[in-house]
Amino acid sequence: MALRVLVSVSAICILFPIAVLADAIVEGRVNLPKSHAPPPVMAKRYEIVTNGGVLATKPPLAVVYLDGSFPTPTFHPTKQVAQKDLAFLPPLLPVQVGTTVEFPNLDNIYHNIFSYSPTKRFDLGRYRPEERPIPSVLFDVPGLVTLRCDIHEHMRGLILVLNTPYFVITDEGGRFRLSGLPSGHYTLKAWIDSKTTREQPVELKSGAALRTDFP
Amino acid sequence: MMLVVSVLTGLALYFAHRNVATTAERDLRENFQAEISSLHKVQALRHAALTERCRELVLKPRLHAALEDNALDLLYLTAKDELRDLMEGAAPGKREGANSLQARFYRFLSSSGAIIPPPNPTEVGQLSREAEAQLALKRLPDTQQIGYVLETADTADGTMNEVMALPILSTETGEVISALVVGFRPFEVVDKGEGIGLKSGIWVNGRLHLPSLPKSAQRKIEENIAQRLSKADGAQNSFNVAVNGMPQLLFYKPLNPGSLFPPAYEICVYPLANSIAQQRRLSWQIGGAGALFLLLGFVASHFIAARLSVPVEKLAVDSEENRTQRRKAEAALASTSEELERSARYSADASHQLKSPVTVLRTGLESLLNREDFKSEVYHELSALLHQTYRLTGVIDDLLLLSRMDAGHVEIDSKPVNLSELIEEWLDDFGALPDSPDVKMEKDFPPELYVAGEKRYTSLIVQNVLENARKYNRPGGRMCVKAESEAGDIVLRIGNTGRPIAQDAQKYIFERFHRGGTRSSVSGHGLGLNLARELARLHGGGLCLVRSGDDWTEFEVRFRALHPVPADAAEVA
Repeated sequence: MALRVLVSVSAICILFPIAVLADAIVEGRVNLPKSHAPPPVMAKRYEIVTNGGVLATKPPLAVVYLDGSFPTPTFHPTKQVAQKDLAFLPPLLPVQVGTTVEFPNLDNIYHNIFSYSPTKRFDLGRYRPEERPIPSVLFDVPGLVTLRCDIHEHMRGLILVLNTPYFVITDEGGRFRLSGLPSGHYTLKAWIDSKTTREQPVELKSGAALRTDFP
Repeated sequence: MMLVVSVLTGLALYFAHRNVATTAERDLRENFQAEISSLHKVQALRHAALTERCRELVLKPRLHAALEDNALDLLYLTAKDELRDLMEGAAPGKREGANSLQARFYRFLSSSGAIIPPPNPTEVGQLSREAEAQLALKRLPDTQQIGYVLETADTADGTMNEVMALPILSTETGEVISALVVGFRPFEVVDKGEGIGLKSGIWVNGRLHLPSLPKSAQRKIEENIAQRLSKADGAQNSFNVAVNGMPQLLFYKPLNPGSLFPPAYEICVYPLANSIAQQRRLSWQIGGAGALFLLLGFVASHFIAARLSVPVEKLAVDSEENRTQRRKAEAALASTSEELERSARYSADASHQLKSPVTVLRTGLESLLNREDFKSEVYHELSALLHQTYRLTGVIDDLLLLSRMDAGHVEIDSKPVNLSELIEEWLDDFGALPDSPDVKMEKDFPPELYVAGEKRYTSLIVQNVLENARKYNRPGGRMCVKAESEAGDIVLRIGNTGRPIAQDAQKYIFERFHRGGTRSSVSGHGLGLNLARELARLHGGGLCLVRSGDDWTEFEVRFRALHPVPADAAEVA
């Protein structure tokens, strides 16, 4: 948790000049899909579930982000997706392009994290919890990355690599709030699952809070 | 007889041979089935091992990742690592051991069932274009599929491959997203030189792969199987087939019923040469034993027949002689019978013809006797003549009765007749006769002795015999009449004193017109005894001379006893 706070603070510091200039807020609610029919038994324990070949979280969550061309940050943050209790934690991680993600093994067994996703192919090989440095991967291309474990075929994790620094995960009710956004015309997008991304054009004004829902 | 024995022996040999042949064929089939059964067990085990091995492979996360995450370029690359164990030993140029669990090649099928082309075919087991095309399926299979693919590119005989297609299910959707097709060397019977001679091969797409048989034989079996399969329902079966002139028992069984791959059949060929040779040897042995048995039988029966035929032949000669004699006797009998009949007819006719003139004569003599103008000597002569007419009438009556008996016209109406009463009556009558000699009468019979007979004829028998005893008695002699029951018969014995019958005349006394001693002093005409005997015989009894000598002559008459039904019993009845 401390690490997370540190990362957040760092991000705020980095974005501070922009935030000062643009402190628009957008908030709203994404209409999340209702809880699906019981997922396949194999994936029941885990938070990434599949339905009709679509990967999503359970309970459903969405990633809301502001699409547009933003300057590439000079500082590359580092985030973590741990393996704990034979699952990825967090199961869904949105990151900005250029982010390095570490994959610490918090289980007492081997894991072998790999991805064949076109966005990012990598294979960390087998490693134990005490493996140092913690195996990590730099995500430098936007897109969705499916994380798998070669030893535990049922483990699934998702990393959504985005071109924007403005993104947030909704709560279970689909509510979201993005603040410190620059003013101007943008497209607000809501990634709901691997096949569904909704979008809304938004005009952000400095100091104003915009209410946008994704029906 | 010999023919019957030969036929029976032949039948016995035929059935024995048939029984032996049936048993041999059954044993052969059982032996064959046992071989095939053990073969199938090994095959089933091998299939289970292969299936388990492949099932593990299709669960590999990397393969799933390559298929599900749209990374087909990594599919064969990943599979190369994952399936290394399976493919070890199947390196090009290195021939894998027979019946090993190593794969020869593998391929993945796309969602449409087509082959996903491998980037480097040498790493996944090279196949000709034709063979590879046979791996494709019309659709992805839901379950494991077994198929057989003949690779003809590498050798002249080609190489048969057993192919196992396992569906790969998406861990995300549960749907079949691909299939892993792995080719193995099929299980083959290894001829260990133990002489069973069982050869197995595989028939698929109209082609038989059984390299241990010559090409021509394979082509012939292919035709046979194609015909069989077109007729039958495809279930397992067996039939005999000649390969290079040698008979073989062929067994076929579907290997992959219901598979998406073309239907394949396991073909087992079992040579029948040994079995036929054994049967032939047995046939010869049975035939030889039979022939020997028959020969011995012939010899034995010849000797026995020779011994048996001697008395039979003698019997035949005797029989011929007897037949000749019988013919002669029958001819003589016929002639005698005719003569007798003629004679009887003559007697009857003569009797009838004589009766009338005698009656006329008697009537004339009686009327003359009634006249009173003759001298006394004349009356005496007339009386003598009248007496002769009575005698003549008696002779005629006796002759008439005899002739009727000879002709068989006399029938006896048997009824109980009181013999004692008849004897008493006749003795009374004789006592009243004027010429009765002075004899002492001895009687010994119970008052009631019943015999079977007709009363008038029984009376005639008794009369004749008593008359005979009376006539031939001497003055001052005695006469004995005795009757008793003896062994169901009534025997009447009549003895009298007097001159005995000469020994040489005794056998003629019952002949007609024979008169013992021909003494003119005794009246009679020589018919009495003959008539009495014929009548006694007609009544089921007989008359015989018991003895005649030492002043005693005795006759015996035998009657059948018949007791009258008591009156009260008859009434009750």
